[in-house]
Amino acid sequence: MPPTGEVAASMLEIRDLALDYPGFAARYTLPVPEGALVAVIGPSGGGKTTLLHAIAGFERPSGGTLTWDGLDLLPLKPASRPLSILFQDHNLFPHLSAFDNVALGVRPGLKLSGAERDAVDAALADVGLGGFGPRLPGQMSGGQRQRVALARAMVQDKPLMLLDEPFGALDPGLRREMIVLVDDLRKARGLTVLMTIHTPEEAAGCVDLVAFVTDGKVAALGSWQALAGPGGDMRVRRFLGFGTAS
Amino acid sequence: MLHPGVLTAFALLALTVASLAGLATAGGGLADLAGLGPYLMQTVHGASLQAALSTILSLALGSALALALNRRRDFAGRKLLITLMSAATVAPVIVIVFGVVAVYGRSGLAGDAARLLGLGAPPAIFGLHGILIAHVLMNAPFVARALLQALGRQPGTRLMLGAALGFTATDTFRHIDWPVLRRELPGLATLVFLLCFTSFAVVLTLGGGPKNATLEVAIYEALRIEAEFGRAAALAAIQFAICIGLTGLLAVFNRRPAEAAGGERAAPRPDSTAPGLKAFDGAAILLGTALIAPPLLAVLAGTASLPRLATREVLGAALTSACLALAAGLIAVTLALALASPAPGRVHPWRSRAMDLAALAMLGLPPFAFVTGLYVLLRGSGHPATLGLLLVPLVNGLMALPFAYRLIGPPLALNAERHGRLADALGLTGLARLRLVDWPVLRAPMLAALAMAMALSLGDFGVIALFGGGDLVTLPYLLADRLGSYRSDEAAALALLLVLTAGLLAYAADRGSGRQHA
Repeated sequence: MPPTGEVAASMLEIRDLALDYPGFAARYTLPVPEGALVAVIGPSGGGKTTLLHAIAGFERPSGGTLTWDGLDLLPLKPASRPLSILFQDHNLFPHLSAFDNVALGVRPGLKLSGAERDAVDAALADVGLGGFGPRLPGQMSGGQRQRVALARAMVQDKPLMLLDEPFGALDPGLRREMIVLVDDLRKARGLTVLMTIHTPEEAAGCVDLVAFVTDGKVAALGSWQALAGPGGDMRVRRFLGFGTAS
Repeated sequence: MLHPGVLTAFALLALTVASLAGLATAGGGLADLAGLGPYLMQTVHGASLQAALSTILSLALGSALALALNRRRDFAGRKLLITLMSAATVAPVIVIVFGVVAVYGRSGLAGDAARLLGLGAPPAIFGLHGILIAHVLMNAPFVARALLQALGRQPGTRLMLGAALGFTATDTFRHIDWPVLRRELPGLATLVFLLCFTSFAVVLTLGGGPKNATLEVAIYEALRIEAEFGRAAALAAIQFAICIGLTGLLAVFNRRPAEAAGGERAAPRPDSTAPGLKAFDGAAILLGTALIAPPLLAVLAGTASLPRLATREVLGAALTSACLALAAGLIAVTLALALASPAPGRVHPWRSRAMDLAALAMLGLPPFAFVTGLYVLLRGSGHPATLGLLLVPLVNGLMALPFAYRLIGPPLALNAERHGRLADALGLTGLARLRLVDWPVLRAPMLAALAMAMALSLGDFGVIALFGGGDLVTLPYLLADRLGSYRSDEAAALALLLVLTAGLLAYAADRGSGRQHA
């Protein structure tokens, strides 16, 4: 994988992935290059979270294909897929310390070897929480809790990371800080990242691609400049409140 | 002007003090206590042992059932079993007694089956084992439903996280289910122990003698059979002290339920396919159904005898029950409303905590001890039946207060939090505020609380046992009478009538409260 975050050939392939619910049907097609940071944007109820949940294995598609590097992901359980996921909230188990919450990513039984314990400490340090291991989630701020969840995603050592609006509840400054942290970790570890986000302009400098999801479809895909810039996609610009004039 | 909640709390305290004063004036005080000696020790020891065993068995079965039903959301009989559990929770105690006798008694279904198999007659149901069966039948479904709701409040994302992290069945229990059980079980254990320790109807009818008597039964016998007011007062004082201690413990464990995690599709559980767990869940569901279903379904035997209930005596009892239940329901709802009504401006947390405690304290109020004290104070001022008409709905209303408060308090508090400042800013006060701000939110919970309090009062065979007879006869009193005189067909029909009425009221309460089965 490219170590610098540059975009390479398509690695995650989503083709005609179909999900059907009463009153809502989704059909997704989305090619994601290796090492890309993709911002998934779109109106509420448009199907952003459903897309991420389908990739993670929490939803059962009725048709289509989903592959990672040619490997069919659909028959695999969530834990066997090459991905980690962060949600907007409830990412941590409140009765476990920050250390144990991260350690769940290594061994859910929490019986760790010395090297594994060192890896957990290192992941906490990487997200700026060295020394926070013994703290319970209730003793930490919202930003710190999301950093712990990010550290857990790191120790899982999976090449694809799904972020389902994980920083939506944070202050704007902290949100921007977390996005930069994700971008740094992605570049350092060569991760591919899909992130749903309500304020995409905050991530504009980091994202390689923007996927505009509405009515259960990826309605537009391209760079931030191509979709949101002057002369960009009218639906995206209207959604972002940029108006239609170029 | 004092807030109605504070006034109500003081009124409740004044009633309790009056009752205690009545008890204190009735007998010889410490001399009576000293005279009870070994009898008192034996009663407290026996009741504690029985309550501890009932609690352990109820928690074990209730937890197993809740975990199994939470894991097996696609189990075909899930809704039916939950409905049966709800029925067992709201069924009048005397109906549970009827069901236990009808199934496990010598001439019951189990006895018939044993004789058919050539195993001879089963042992009599009367004694500690009879009490335990009835208590588990009443409390295990209550525990299971409470835990099922608590487990259902877990955010779905936590289950998704478990699936993404590769949780095994053990990991899922350890990290997702156990924290919920650990939080809920101490409070449930205290509540079940309190209910079993103060149990009256079950122990009176199935206890099989003084060996298994609770303090409630001892007070009843002292008052109704031996007319020993001093002795009843001494026993009631002991009962008061123990129950207040247990209620204090309950207040420590009592926590408002965590916010429900809504808006998510049900997440699949990481442990749903573990084969060992499937067997465990199957066994728990089978055992639970085998224990809960037969005694409850036994009331159906009364269908054929329903026409025999069209007598002046039964209709009179039904009317009395309805009037007493309505009065008790109105008392419970009025007091709950007063306690829960928000105070203007910023309120210190201790105040809401004190209101919570005032409502919760009624759980620990031993009804016989309480009513004995009031009766002693008032006995010169009226005929026992007249006093009964006054005291029965009052005590039943107070007993239902914690449940009514639980239904009314949270929506009222939430409404005050959401719209209180806006209403203050708009100058909405008094009736206008009630009509425009509170009533739309309160209407359903208030009706739910009324229905629940009426259901509890309708099936009560507690205080009415003390005052009942002559002109004051209720349906549960009549059922106990028919059971005692072995008129089992009529008893079954009365039990069916009670279950249907209480069930309908509880259903209305459940719908009104907006809660759904987990």
